[in-house]
Amino acid sequence: MSAGYIDELHEAFHSDLVYRSEEIPLECSPKPKEMEQTLHGVMKLNGLVIRSLEEIAGRGANAVTYRAGKKFGHEVAKYFQKREDVEGALHELSDLLRGQYSFEVWKPEDKETFIIEENGETFIYLVFHDCIVRQTLRRNGLDQGGPLCQTLFGYVVGAIEEITGRKAKLEIVHTGPNACLKKLVLK
Amino acid sequence: MDIHVDKDACVGCGLCVKDCPMHVYELQDSVSVAVRPNNCMGCLSCHEICPAQALEHRGIYAARRHYIDIKVCEMLRKVV
Ligand code: SF4
Ligand code: SF4
Repeated sequence: MSAGYIDELHEAFHSDLVYRSEEIPLECSPKPKEMEQTLHGVMKLNGLVIRSLEEIAGRGANAVTYRAGKKFGHEVAKYFQKREDVEGALHELSDLLRGQYSFEVWKPEDKETFIIEENGETFIYLVFHDCIVRQTLRRNGLDQGGPLCQTLFGYVVGAIEEITGRKAKLEIVHTGPNACLKKLVLK
Repeated sequence: MDIHVDKDACVGCGLCVKDCPMHVYELQDSVSVAVRPNNCMGCLSCHEICPAQALEHRGIYAARRHYIDIKVCEMLRKVV
């Protein structure tokens, strides 16, 4: 390796910045545009991990990722206000997911209310609009609905259970390129 | 949701009818018609599947698309 290149490297990692340990960063650095490559790297890595997990564990991969997501959901929602009403819980959940996922409560036009009772089940339809999982899957050319989606499922279920104290289940109704329809079943 | 089907472009394949989970479309005289537009939840699966690019949704929320590789798109734009 030439000395010129080593000097160049030293130059690149040298600055006149005075950094004090007590300083709290007020904004994200670098700027989002400059993080594009990092984001793509993370998405590619996640895609590869999930693909390999599926190759090794087969259908068991879903159980692993669901459990991981659920644990995470319980963990994060611990610090949120406990609510018994589902509407309030969903509000807490959207705060919790902000920036990574965005969703809205939805109903088909023939239903009167958002909380639907059908065949002995009580459920709510959720349309997930922004979703970092969908983006990662599309970045890697992977199908939606597999193990990476299960992490989000677990996350939502864990958080709802933690906030409401009720058991819940999330089912995929449809996955699309711009939004996914899910059914939150309350027990 | 305001859904518009370009009647001249539609080839009447019925793929959108089959694919839409909310049964928004029906084939009428070999052309797709959005008969239940209020049932649309904006997944855009129909756009992805339509071979004629005959569909248009107005008032839809476009989800963030961080996955698009700008560098690849820039290269493609040069050749297409
Ligand atoms: S966007 Fe989805 S729900 Fe709406 S018409 Fe197309 S396939 Fe159906
Ligand atoms: S998928 Fe496109 S071309 Fe086929 S019926 Fe629907 S609108 Fe027409």
